[in-house]
Amino acid sequence: MDFRPSDPAAERGGLPVTTKILIAGGFGAGKTTLVSSISEIRPLRTEEDLSDRSVGVDDIAGVERKTTTTVAMDFGRISFRSDLVLYLFGTPGQERFWFMWDELAHGALGAVVLADTRRLADCFAAIDYFEEHGTPFVVGVNCFEGALQYDPGDVRIALSLDPDVPVVLCDARRRDSVKQVLLTLVRHVLDLSPAEPDRQGATALSAR
Amino acid sequence: MAAPRDSWLDRDAGPVVRPYAMTKGRTVSGAGDGASIGLIDVVITRDQAPPEGFRLSPEQRQILAVSRQPITVVDLASDLDLPVGVVRLLLSDLSEHGLVTIRPARRAPVTDARLLRDVLDGLQAL
Repeated sequence: MDFRPSDPAAERGGLPVTTKILIAGGFGAGKTTLVSSISEIRPLRTEEDLSDRSVGVDDIAGVERKTTTTVAMDFGRISFRSDLVLYLFGTPGQERFWFMWDELAHGALGAVVLADTRRLADCFAAIDYFEEHGTPFVVGVNCFEGALQYDPGDVRIALSLDPDVPVVLCDARRRDSVKQVLLTLVRHVLDLSPAEPDRQGATALSAR
Repeated sequence: MAAPRDSWLDRDAGPVVRPYAMTKGRTVSGAGDGASIGLIDVVITRDQAPPEGFRLSPEQRQILAVSRQPITVVDLASDLDLPVGVVRLLLSDLSEHGLVTIRPARRAPVTDARLLRDVLDGLQAL
């Protein structure tokens, strides 16, 4: 029987367009909380093999070293329409899992670095990573109850951020607050885009 | 550990099938291993009969069943409770034999103004 897409919204061969945003930050900064505040599913957990990375396909000698050691990845999902789905991936914190960042960051729309003002230094590593890899990011200062409210400008100085990197105060538990952080990120990425679509269109027209 | 399910049971191997057993001992570091399959690439079954001589593993049968609706690689891994690396290898085989289509996600969304605007609109409408 021929396959018939049951989802009529499909633009490209019946398949939804997918994209992703990374949620980084130190341990306990609220990454999983942020994802669960806005995800349509409770944050799911899947696992990535850890041990098999450097073993050749037919390298039998390596077989006994293979283990089921895995690292968990948290992710959430927001379906905007039936044909556009945004994934949020919480990045694993420990440095030993950093090889996973390359995969997570590859093809990402951008990243949110969640900062906990009580432990600002915890997000230096993430900021360095995104700066080095050219991944657009915003810093979300998670305002925990009881934590002092900081001026975003002070946080910017403390983290020695480039002036164009947005810093926003947020509450990772509140959906609307998380929504604002994500909106800030997408607007920031749009600002960084080489050309607006209108201008591109005009250029294409004048070239004809 | 998750409660054992039938798909994890194997009389010879003991109570749990190791991931590398599901992949026939292959790992995720060589050619044709699915390493190019992205986490949010979309999988859909092509509803084809397996070619002569290709025996579907129980996990591959599960993948074919679940991906009757378009589904991303991470959602597949999560639904089937399998490591992403294992799912990639199984998908790589299925794709090679023409049993699934894997549509890659946009590799450079940062420069895709249309996509960015769609995401912006979507977020605003939440």
